[in-house]
Amino acid sequence: MSAVSISLPRVLARRRLAGLDWQLVLYLLLLVAFGWILGFSAGFGSEPTAGTLSQSMRTLIWLAAGLAAFVAAAAIDYRWLRTAAVPLYLMTLGLLVLTLVIGSDTDGSQLSVSLGGLAFQFSEISKVLITVVLAAFLVSRGERVRRLSTIVGALLLVGLPAFLVFRQPDLGTALVFGAIVLVMLFMAGASVGWLVALGGLVVAALPALIGSLHEYQRARLLCFLDPSADVQGACYQLSQSINAVGAGGLVGQGLTAGRHNQLGYLPVQSTDFIFTVVAEELGFVGSIVLLVLFGLLVWRILRVAWTAPDALGRLLAVGVAAVIVFQVLINIGMVTGIMPVTGIPLPFITYGGSSLVSLCTGLGLVASVRVHADRHRF
Amino acid sequence: MAEAGGVRDLPPSPARFAALAIAIALVFGVLGVRLVQLQVIEGHEYAAQAIAAQQVELPIPAVRGLIFDREGRPVAVNVPRWVVSVVPADLPDGDRQRVLYRLAQLGGVDASALGDRLDGYRGSPRDAVPLIVGIDRETAYQIGEEESRLPGVQVTSRPERRYLGLDGTADGQLLSAILGYTGPISADELARLSASGYLADDTIGRTGIEASFEAELRGTYGADLAERDASGAAGRIIGTASEPIPGRNLVLTIDARLQEMATKALQWGLDSAHLESGVTIVMNPQTGEILAMVSLPAYDNNAFAAGIDPALYQSYLDDPARPLRNHAISDVYPPGSTFKLVTGLAALEEGVTTPTRKWPTYGCFPIPDATDGSCLYEWNRKGFGPLDMVNAFAFSSDTFFYQMALKLGVDRLAKWAHQFGFGSPSGIDLPNEAGGTVASTAWARSQGRAGVYSGELAQAGIGQNVIAVTPLQLLNAYAALANGGHLMRPMVVRGFANDKGGLVEPFAPEEIAAMTADPGNLQVIRVGAREVITTGHALNIRRLALPGALSGKTGTAEYGIAAPDGSLPYHSWFVAFVPSASGADDSTLAVITFTYRAMAYGNVSTEVVKYFLQEYFELDQDLRYDPLTLRRISPDSP
Repeated sequence: MSAVSISLPRVLARRRLAGLDWQLVLYLLLLVAFGWILGFSAGFGSEPTAGTLSQSMRTLIWLAAGLAAFVAAAAIDYRWLRTAAVPLYLMTLGLLVLTLVIGSDTDGSQLSVSLGGLAFQFSEISKVLITVVLAAFLVSRGERVRRLSTIVGALLLVGLPAFLVFRQPDLGTALVFGAIVLVMLFMAGASVGWLVALGGLVVAALPALIGSLHEYQRARLLCFLDPSADVQGACYQLSQSINAVGAGGLVGQGLTAGRHNQLGYLPVQSTDFIFTVVAEELGFVGSIVLLVLFGLLVWRILRVAWTAPDALGRLLAVGVAAVIVFQVLINIGMVTGIMPVTGIPLPFITYGGSSLVSLCTGLGLVASVRVHADRHRF
Repeated sequence: MAEAGGVRDLPPSPARFAALAIAIALVFGVLGVRLVQLQVIEGHEYAAQAIAAQQVELPIPAVRGLIFDREGRPVAVNVPRWVVSVVPADLPDGDRQRVLYRLAQLGGVDASALGDRLDGYRGSPRDAVPLIVGIDRETAYQIGEEESRLPGVQVTSRPERRYLGLDGTADGQLLSAILGYTGPISADELARLSASGYLADDTIGRTGIEASFEAELRGTYGADLAERDASGAAGRIIGTASEPIPGRNLVLTIDARLQEMATKALQWGLDSAHLESGVTIVMNPQTGEILAMVSLPAYDNNAFAAGIDPALYQSYLDDPARPLRNHAISDVYPPGSTFKLVTGLAALEEGVTTPTRKWPTYGCFPIPDATDGSCLYEWNRKGFGPLDMVNAFAFSSDTFFYQMALKLGVDRLAKWAHQFGFGSPSGIDLPNEAGGTVASTAWARSQGRAGVYSGELAQAGIGQNVIAVTPLQLLNAYAALANGGHLMRPMVVRGFANDKGGLVEPFAPEEIAAMTADPGNLQVIRVGAREVITTGHALNIRRLALPGALSGKTGTAEYGIAAPDGSLPYHSWFVAFVPSASGADDSTLAVITFTYRAMAYGNVSTEVVKYFLQEYFELDQDLRYDPLTLRRISPDSP
């Protein structure tokens, strides 16, 4: 961290500052601000436990860390990452194993490691790390990217960390890994025929995969198929969430005035179900504003990918886009009842420092592609 | 992937970019459409569901209806009962000792007992645990003032039933047989009644009018609308779903003053003959209205309001005189000679005899079918010579009525017993009424017998052995005699009242059935009843200076197991009515007294009725005899 803060002024002092995608930064800041306000509303009325910082204060600390990570990542020349791919991969595996071994209990599953009182979920940063590693791998394949061996290699490469997060158990992150692999393989030029065949294989294996899930994960998945089943039990969150989203109506009930939210009907409203608070308190208008912000952000990322000087930059950008779009789809789809309930946070909005810092790092890398593009234009 | 630099990048594929862009656009499109569907199109529906899920109705108990006596005196009211409760979750451990000590000090109870009660509570720590029930208002206010120093402490009041006497102060004895009592609802009752809106901490009428008029007295509970959080706990009240409708107020047919008068007379009779148990009922024969109904020993219905002390309850249950039963309606006894009313009228109606025909009487009347030649004694063991109906009734000749019963046969006797209302509950507006027994062929078959023996039939003719009645049935039969043949439904509730006890919606008196008896025959019996007083053996009661022609009938009803000398224990009855003249059907006052196991020289019941009439008509006379010594209570009285 100290190295970053020293190098920052130097980096930004250069004319590369002009290369920074200021729109990308704007949308990032708007989303983060949106998330901070919503997090405040979701926690409104509940007193902080004595001796701990209030949630919005902690969010501010994480926010600062996230922005620092963004600037640092943007300052790094992304091409350097290619040489660092192997250590990064080993680091990823190491962090995930560490989480399994000493992870503290959050809601019954080993998901996070506590660092100085601020819990950090390594599975979040692993999404970004895997994107970098996979991009490096695919670039290294060169012309051979169309071969089946590339797909198999990518699957093996991602399979090991995916297995580790699945064991935590963190089904959501494992699914994000899947989305990253699929999108990056496709955008790297992998054979569509083999990808389709792979997709068929996954569909065929679905029953076996569902069978391997924990009981509660399976129960939540089935809720998505029939939300009215077992309304008091496993599907409770989902049916309450759909009610709250619907009750938001066109303009919502106002910040901190969402009755479902404030009466505690949304047990994890500050985390995975934060969008219900958006929908209930800010209504359809607020929800669409949020969706549009995501859309604009993704558009800027894709624009970086399109104009990237090399395949590494392009794949980094689409990988980060895949993470964000997939999480938005699964999260909002989940709270509106069109996607199964899995623990996937809503990017920038869900309270959680690890997700925020990780995504900022990812976006910083995307910005880096842009910042460092002109130097290599020859 | 360690292969550095040398590998040439593939150029970006515009087709794949386009595909990715379309896929991403689809994702946002699908989410957008879903939000339109949920929030814009179906929004109202979900809002309604969400509101329903977030609200809970908190019941508002209705005020229980008041009960007044016929003169508008309140006899059942509601008073606040103050309860000190503690919410364990709001009482910090550090303050617990101090708070409980202070509460114990203020409430005058033991602090460790409060601690035990708090620890013994097994519900949610958010529940208010009642610690001291029934503190006075001053203490309640004192605790309220110290509220800020007593965290977790709540002082609440809830209405509790209070029964009042004649002077408006608490009196749980005077009317308990009629009013009954309310008490906390039991688990069984709750299981049965929760669908009708009864709550876990509700009270319910258990017996008496409190039970028979439960629905009217209870009223209709209202409901506040409150927010409900996800744990189900109620929060802020946001509106009223329905206002409670107070219970209806009732006016009794009972006059508390007459009730007290009748109680005093009966208690005197029981005390002077060393008896435990008896009944006095006062009625208006024209309407069936009960003016007083005393069943002794009485119990204290005020003791039930907040849940009765188990020791007291057990003592009621263990008392052989069974104070919790209303002996006037719930228990049956042989009516003895008072039943000659039925036998006499039946004999006239069925043509067995005429008003003028005389029949021989015997010292001991031989039972016709008895193979051992046994006979049934006249009560004086001598006989009275030839008697007509009026004199036979006046002298209460057993052998005369044995002959009538045997000539009638059991089923014709039963027919007239039923016409007088015997053998089935009268339908009075009180619970737990017994029906009694009237011998008949059908009854004998229901007992697994071919028929009734002639000895039993003869005994039935004098109200013994196979006849059992409630005191109310017997009084009601005499009321039908007194009013000219109308069997009225006895009533204790006159109608609905306003808050001041004024009658606003009277209940009409109801005739159960018009008797088919000839009015002339009824008059013969009424004259006989008058002769009981004037020429019969009812001692000095004839000397009462009453504004009417006191008529009546005594009864001593043997029952149970004979003593070594052949004598049986007996109950004593006296039933009376006061027409304007001998044989008239205009009586508006009828009284019955029954004394249980009244083995005294005098007829205890007659003395009780005498005492009541002296008081009722405010006579300047006291003609009472001590039933044990047969000495005048006031020898100098005119």
